[in-house]
Amino acid sequence: MPKEYAHPEVLVSTDWVAEHHADPNVRVVESDEDVLLYQMGHVPSAVKIDWHTDLQDQVVRDYIDKQRFAALCSSKGISNDTTVVFYGDKNNWWACYAFWVFKLYGHKDCRLMNGGRKRWEADGREWSREPEPNYPRTNYVAGDPDLSIRAFQSEVLKHQKQGRPLVDVRSPGEFTGELLHMADYPQEGALRGGHIPGACNVPWSRSVNEDGTFKSPKELEKLYAGEAGLKRRAPVIAYCRIGERSSHTWFVLQYLLGFPKVKNYDGSWTEWGNTVGVPIEKGPGPKTTDLAVSNSAPVPAESTS
Amino acid sequence: MSTVNERIDGIVGEFAELEPRERLELLLEFAQKLAPLAERYRAERDAGLNRVHECQTPVFLWVENDGGGVKIIADVAPEAPTVKGFVSILADLYHGAEAAEVVAAPADIVQRLGLTESLGMVRMRGLQAISQYIRRRVAESIAS
Repeated sequence: MPKEYAHPEVLVSTDWVAEHHADPNVRVVESDEDVLLYQMGHVPSAVKIDWHTDLQDQVVRDYIDKQRFAALCSSKGISNDTTVVFYGDKNNWWACYAFWVFKLYGHKDCRLMNGGRKRWEADGREWSREPEPNYPRTNYVAGDPDLSIRAFQSEVLKHQKQGRPLVDVRSPGEFTGELLHMADYPQEGALRGGHIPGACNVPWSRSVNEDGTFKSPKELEKLYAGEAGLKRRAPVIAYCRIGERSSHTWFVLQYLLGFPKVKNYDGSWTEWGNTVGVPIEKGPGPKTTDLAVSNSAPVPAESTS
Repeated sequence: MSTVNERIDGIVGEFAELEPRERLELLLEFAQKLAPLAERYRAERDAGLNRVHECQTPVFLWVENDGGGVKIIADVAPEAPTVKGFVSILADLYHGAEAAEVVAAPADIVQRLGLTESLGMVRMRGLQAISQYIRRRVAESIAS
């Protein structure tokens, strides 16, 4: 059982941020689900990056391309060698999402403020209500997308047919497909409920403490390697509904536990659950304790196609 | 007193005059205007009653309709100002109106506020869900 996170330098404390937020080599980035939160108070010196308006293409369902990513970094005063520290609401879901996009385009030094807004608030630290600071533009050069951390649907389909490990990080209700939808509101944004056959269900929230910080290395190891039976060296794909909660689990597996081959399937359930003919499984799926067995089992039968 | 339809046109017009960025500021103002939850509802909230379970953020709603028209009482977590602002707009729009008028009013307020560009489909869907939830509860208040 590990005593330390695999890449401890990637996680910074609120103390560290309080001390370094104004360093010229550091840029603190707030990324929230709620579009108004930054204006209500943010970490001093921090800039805002919105997952929808800044990181996603507004026409095609995709991320912004590398030119626009470079322009975004430049507009936020981020250089290729800036230490970028992400934090946000909802236990850092969107902070992890933004972190992941920065890694997609090869940004070297990305960190996450452990505990996000929740912890900053609990620590009684200062919230700035100043308008977003304007930093001098940079000559940022973005790399080509690093597809070693991104899974597309065709790849997930292959992965699933080979019986390789998938982690569904949604709530148990979403996983089993039993979640009740309210009238006029298909909550999943999908035509079918359930999960990708063979996936294990480890809701993202199990990796965090009450105060929003991550659980200890020992607890995380026990959860993902023990209970869920994930093998460190096997390629793993994480998914959720739209790819934000799974960026959180991607972060845990890749940086805190040091799994070498983890991908986020950002199409997630809103793509899978709407695609004609892909296999879907309903119900609780394989018991997590049996997962190690099912991982090495022959190709699982397709249940719907 | 103005009709619900007139009030909707009024607020839609107010948003339409603004740039997208300013619309968010106006939404934030509405969030800050939502009255704190009155003492007499707090016990129910603390017991987890009247929670809108479809929302991931804690949202608690009471719809009252006892002679003086519709009254919407809401408690929204401070970490969800967008939802709070929108609920605050709906509470204003429907305040004191006849329930039947609320139910008959257009259901597309979310789309007409011109926030789609800033919020995106996922957030818009969440607000639409809350709008539908409130309308349903108002409709039920007629039946009961």
